Amino acid sequence: MHDDISAAWRSFDLHAPTDEHRLLAETLQTFVAQEVEPQAAQYNREERFNLALFRRAGDLGLLGLTVSESDGGAGLDATAAVLVHEALSAADPGFCLAYLAHAVLFVHNFARNGSAAQKERVLSKAISGEWIGGMCMTEPEAGTDVLGMRSTAVRQGDHYILNGRKMFITNGAIDDRTTGDVFLVYAKTDSKISTFLVEKGFSGFSLGQRLHDKLGVRASMTAELVFDNCVVPVSNLIGSEGESSKHMMRNLEIERLTLAGMSLGIALRCLEVMVGYSNERKTFGVPIREHGQIQRHIAESYSEFRAARCYVYDVARRLDLSSFGNRVDADGAKLFAARIAKEIADRAIQVLGGYGYMGEYVVERLWRDAKLIEIGGGTVEAHHKNITKDLCRAPELIRR
Amino acid sequence: MKILVTVKRVPDPNASIKVKPDGTGIITDNLKYVVNPFDEIAIEEALRLKEKSGGAEVVLVSVGSKTAQEQLRTGLAMGADRAILVVAEQELDSLAVARIFHKLVQDEKADLVLLGKQAIDDDANQTGQMLAALLGWPQATFASKTDSLESEAEKSGTPGIQISGGAAKVVREVDGGLETLELPVPAVITVDLRLNVPRYASLPGIMKARKKELKELAIDSLGVDVKPKLKILRLDPPPKRQAGRKVGSVQELVQALHNEAKVI
Ligand SMILES: Cc1cc2nc3c(=O)[nH]c(=O)nc-3n(C[C@H](O)[C@H](O)[C@H](O)COP(=O)(O)OP(=O)(O)OC[C@H]3O[C@@H](n4cnc5c(N)ncnc54)[C@H](O)[C@@H]3O)c2cc1C
Repeated sequence: MHDDISAAWRSFDLHAPTDEHRLLAETLQTFVAQEVEPQAAQYNREERFNLALFRRAGDLGLLGLTVSESDGGAGLDATAAVLVHEALSAADPGFCLAYLAHAVLFVHNFARNGSAAQKERVLSKAISGEWIGGMCMTEPEAGTDVLGMRSTAVRQGDHYILNGRKMFITNGAIDDRTTGDVFLVYAKTDSKISTFLVEKGFSGFSLGQRLHDKLGVRASMTAELVFDNCVVPVSNLIGSEGESSKHMMRNLEIERLTLAGMSLGIALRCLEVMVGYSNERKTFGVPIREHGQIQRHIAESYSEFRAARCYVYDVARRLDLSSFGNRVDADGAKLFAARIAKEIADRAIQVLGGYGYMGEYVVERLWRDAKLIEIGGGTVEAHHKNITKDLCRAPELIRR
Repeated sequence: MKILVTVKRVPDPNASIKVKPDGTGIITDNLKYVVNPFDEIAIEEALRLKEKSGGAEVVLVSVGSKTAQEQLRTGLAMGADRAILVVAEQELDSLAVARIFHKLVQDEKADLVLLGKQAIDDDANQTGQMLAALLGWPQATFASKTDSLESEAEKSGTPGIQISGGAAKVVREVDGGLETLELPVPAVITVDLRLNVPRYASLPGIMKARKKELKELAIDSLGVDVKPKLKILRLDPPPKRQAGRKVGSVQELVQALHNEAKVI
């Protein structure tokens, strides 16, 4: 009897608990090897967004991953979302960030909170990849202190007048001149936060600047967007006026978890490169895997990677995407995964020596990409603050 | 038209295979399993034939452990219509498997059977041939095509096997070239590597696969003689590769190739 219980439990795969997850992982493996990996070095070097690849992800159904089937998506869960981000980031975290901004920050958020009429008009275009979406929270003078945002919207008859600037918006531009197609923009109505659906070409909406020369994730476009007496029809208000801070906080949970998934992909790839190289490279007559210090790089990287992977996927397993209040572990998973991925990328370069410092060996790119996860979607310091606040309010979370 | 495609669960070709110390089999712990790559090509070809004709049904059949469900789901997610798994936990030789397929082809009244030319685990390369003999049907083995895998025809999903007017035209790989055959349908065709590049499942395909029929049959319920006629005595791993060596001159290289490697 005991044997049976533990046998069933042992065969449970945290990373692919159902047939659908397993098949998704198989599809991703082929898609990434055949289509994502071959373009990664070039698009990141040239700081270009690969629109054709983005549309291929649309063909495969990846852009509507977590949207319910009745709304035209695949109806999958947080585990599937982490799985996709891990797989894409093992080859191209830059492309993956553009994917995340679209699929998680725009599509997922919009499908949860938009009305039936709004979804009818916009969702299928976003799921197919015809429209490229993003989410605008950060402002030039308000990032971590998001509730201190200054953008405002004032109702005038059947439309709102939106004023403000939004900073560091992924997919804000698709090249130097063109904005993305559709955005969820947070702004204050009176003193409370509301969300507006702003579409390319709206009067008063423009590209402030496309931001060049990022440290990493260079295949994703980052922009400053300007809303200067931007005219937004009342029918483009998401939900009711003033009720968005809850939605915003909820979407940050899946955002942070998928960012943690990106860190896993980076760590995984760096480990593979490091282990492969230590088998090949010889110094002082032996493969470098024989040197104690190299062993320490590999062993610490491996155990940290496994620990992070369990944590992130366990949080994903528990996360009900319709629920609120899962901040402590969304933040915790990202806090840990971001750090270990950054350190593992660093060790990978170290193990490869001079070759590690060269673009051809991929890990220097991943090293630059890894840093983003300590800033985007909430800084490490913001996670420290949130986790401590949540635990001190509810210490029972520790024993859960 | 009803097309039956065979699907075998095999170890991942990229996995490193270790033979058990006593030679009775391979170590299967932590081994990843996939659809036999040749069968994947057979599935792809069946789907293309279906897409071209508009009316065909593609039925996957597998014989093996219950876990072979996973490989059938992969095929269903690629686009096959339904699947049948004959559950057998025991070892079966090629003839037993061919007999089971024979029974399924008759029960299903299939018009065409596509198989991989061989399974990459035991490389037997005989199930298709045996099945054709049992059915008394014409057969074409090692189906390939004249267009390259980089050609426009390939990218647009044109099938390599052409079926019209009750006959199938098959280009097959033979030593040093290609041979084109025509055979009447119903027929058995086994497929080779250069016939097509199999698609991978899209998410909508994966979600649809969940609702498709996957029927399980107990091997005993078929009334087929599956007693093994073949006994595997032992397995040995291939000899370890010797380390490479640097030679000083072309002359030395030629001599080594002649005297040691004995290849020239
Ligand atoms: C590549 C990239 C893509 C991005 N994409 C998007 C996007 O698509 N949409 C979007 O809305 N935003 C996006 N961002 C913005 C990102 O979310 C913010 O940069 C981040 O939240 C930090 O805000 P900030 O840059 O204003 O830093 P600040 O908030 O000014 O922080 C500066 C420093 O002070 C620290 N700090 C701030 N407050 C505290 C405190 N209370 N206690 C301790 N330390 C504190 C911070 O941790 C940080 O170290 C992106 C950023 C980058 C780099």
